[in-house]
Amino acid sequence: MTTTTTTTTTTTRRDFLHASTLLSFGATVPGFLGRSALAAQPSDKPGGRDTVLVVVQLTGGNDGLNTVIPRRDPLYLKHRPKIGIKPADALKLTDEFGLHPAMTGLAGLYADGKVAVVHGVGYPNPDQSHFRSMDIWHAASTAATLTDGWLGRGLKQKPLGSFHLSDGKEPSPLALAGATHRVPSIASLADYQLKVSATNAAERAAQKAVISGGANPTPSPPGDLLDFVRRTATTTYAGSDRLQALAKGNESKVPYPATGLATRLKLAAQLIDAGVGARVLYVSHENYDTHAGQGSATGAHANLLGDLSAAVTAFTRDVAARGHGDRVCLMTFSEFGRRAKENGSGGTDHGSGAPMLVVGGKVKAGLHGTHPSLETLDDGNLVHTTDFRHVYAALLDTWLGLDANAVLGPGFQPLAVV
Amino acid sequence: MPNPFDAYAPTKSNPWTLAKAGHLLRRTTFGPTRAELQAALRDGPEATATRLLHGTAPTADELATSEFTAGERSLPPGASATQLAAWWLGRILRTGHPLREKVTLFWHNHFATSVVKVQNARLMLGQYRLLHQHALGDFRALLTAMSTDPAMMVWLDATMSKKGVPNENYARELMELFSLGRGPYTEADVREAARAFTGYEVTPAGGKLNPRQHDGGPKTVLGRTGDFAADDIVKLCLDHPACPRFLVTKLLREFVSDTAVTPPAVVEPLAKRYRESGFDTAQLVETILRSEFFFAAANHRAKVKAPVEFAVGIVRGLGANVGPLRLAQQLENLGQQLFAPPSVKGWDGGPAWLNAQTLLGRQNLALALTEGESDLLHGATGNAEVVDRLLEVFLQHDVPAATRRGLIDYLDAAPKARRPVTWTAADAVAHRLRSVTHLVLALPEFQLA
Repeated sequence: MTTTTTTTTTTTRRDFLHASTLLSFGATVPGFLGRSALAAQPSDKPGGRDTVLVVVQLTGGNDGLNTVIPRRDPLYLKHRPKIGIKPADALKLTDEFGLHPAMTGLAGLYADGKVAVVHGVGYPNPDQSHFRSMDIWHAASTAATLTDGWLGRGLKQKPLGSFHLSDGKEPSPLALAGATHRVPSIASLADYQLKVSATNAAERAAQKAVISGGANPTPSPPGDLLDFVRRTATTTYAGSDRLQALAKGNESKVPYPATGLATRLKLAAQLIDAGVGARVLYVSHENYDTHAGQGSATGAHANLLGDLSAAVTAFTRDVAARGHGDRVCLMTFSEFGRRAKENGSGGTDHGSGAPMLVVGGKVKAGLHGTHPSLETLDDGNLVHTTDFRHVYAALLDTWLGLDANAVLGPGFQPLAVV
Repeated sequence: MPNPFDAYAPTKSNPWTLAKAGHLLRRTTFGPTRAELQAALRDGPEATATRLLHGTAPTADELATSEFTAGERSLPPGASATQLAAWWLGRILRTGHPLREKVTLFWHNHFATSVVKVQNARLMLGQYRLLHQHALGDFRALLTAMSTDPAMMVWLDATMSKKGVPNENYARELMELFSLGRGPYTEADVREAARAFTGYEVTPAGGKLNPRQHDGGPKTVLGRTGDFAADDIVKLCLDHPACPRFLVTKLLREFVSDTAVTPPAVVEPLAKRYRESGFDTAQLVETILRSEFFFAAANHRAKVKAPVEFAVGIVRGLGANVGPLRLAQQLENLGQQLFAPPSVKGWDGGPAWLNAQTLLGRQNLALALTEGESDLLHGATGNAEVVDRLLEVFLQHDVPAATRRGLIDYLDAAPKARRPVTWTAADAVAHRLRSVTHLVLALPEFQLA
């Protein structure tokens, strides 16, 4: 397996997907079928064996400056005469800061002490390519070649049950690569089954035996593409029947909005409640690349944040109602924030330094870190004040009980968000 | 040392086989039929490659049908993404020049533009025509025309970019994704180049420059300074040595292998030839497809099939009659909706196509596609012959002996299974054939091209 390229182009996610990670799938039994799955029981203290982390990826570069608004800073509306949120419209967190007016649910959760806001999160020498910067956040590394993810490396330490709740189309995220098993992507439990033509149980068993047998007839060289398909198939077939049976009949009683993100978070809540040992769940929310016409208190960006807020709020209430409120923690991130000044198209170009939200019953609620200066910009971009790896360290170490140092390398003290 | 891109010619020790014929057909079509495999085996690599490179001209009837279904009445601006995808799938199912459609799809993934944002089926069709026109033509013309393609202009916000307030979206992706790849340019290059793309507007006659909104001042991009406009920036990108290298690497991945990392020693001579040919894509593709390098055993089944290849391959192999609209709906769940790639980066492809949900989706689609009529198994007598016929068409016998044995054993045991009392003996046979076809299509080897 190659680790470097010698051409002038640095390696991208695409190269990673095509070349180097076929080896990183290890054992073929999915985490939720392993021993750890059986041990999960509710507990009220963070860092316990059964805490759950839900990662919500905001794809496209969320405009952080219009998410958490510096209400008192006169430069804010100066940079953003068209798209800026009027101080009075922002949902007040403190005198100085407010949430975007579309985020009513999250503002309520903040008032309930369930939301931590980390200001100005980023990393040194920010990259403004969507794909490279997303890879850096997924891998928690700025190395030229990125082949595994921060969660995947954590899962390698302990095979915690983990799921990618997909929209059915998106590939498995780099963040989860490197685990000892292939993390399953699930879009809907109803479709998460292998159908066959059989007309009775004996025939069904015979057909499934041929299909499973075909997936594992002879050991193929590890790292080879056929080996990859066989491993994916073996994990999938082993898990699908079990999951179908376990997740039956635990529909949510809390209403969710009819959005894709809400549907995925609803499925996450179901899995958390199903006793399948779900500890790490990964969800994406698309379309944050607001180069043009992003709107202000209403409009495209407001709709995105409104959907995010409503979905996260319903999820938080749902897991609390099911008795898991104190063992679930949800984190949002995006590959970058956006330029401090609006552009001529009523939107914002790629930037850096943006807030992360951490939501849950046991988070250290309130504001963390320092908001980036609106005056001292780096080529028009906000300068980050907290490295995202300090937040990751808290979630890996304090929350999930993994060795963050081994995942992230030295020097990233956990930020006290949990 | 022999040049890896010298043409392959069969020898006694390296003969032309069904495996090689299958390899060539899998990479150049959306899955072969039994007749195509047999013709390729009979005609040899040279004649087969020639046939694939030129295709068969569409009949007057096909042309008329495609024009009619692409007309404003069939596909109005507000036509759904699924209808639009079905239109292309209809072409893919019927075409006599599958390679050209395949390369068009490659460019669609390269200039990945989505109807979800463009919201105008007419503009998407316009971009399709541009891609199809230049698919096996001059990449310089394609890249130049793309800056004023209306669908692209809406997709990457070029329509909003004006003097004094440039929008960086198109300038960045032009360099990062369309011509150079990451590395050869800086953030300053992006910002300066964005100024050159100001003032272009979508008009009924296509993208046009409005000089009053254009920043005509001097810009410094990729080390050169001038009063650049859009075409000048495109030319600077095309002249950069990273450009042919970037494209050759991508086309090798498309045609040869998802996983092999092609060393510079292999890429460099091809990149040089591509540049010297004036970015003649047909010539580059021909060189690749005829080469020893292409036919090397390590490159067989070194790609994960895209959902379109997987599904259309089953339909073609079975000779089934499946409506493109239904196929388009199914493909959405497998992660490939034509005209709606997930982002400007396109589909990642390769191993990223497969995860638990999409794999189950593929197997379940394969089952559904075996429901219709097929005469593939006509005339096959005996269970071994049935299995061998299926393995020939769908896998060119590229499976372990134990797998073949397991399929035959399954068929041998199948007559003993309990059947609904209302079934006739013929119903039971049809069910067995359908079942074993699904089991073949569910083999891991069938996921690979």
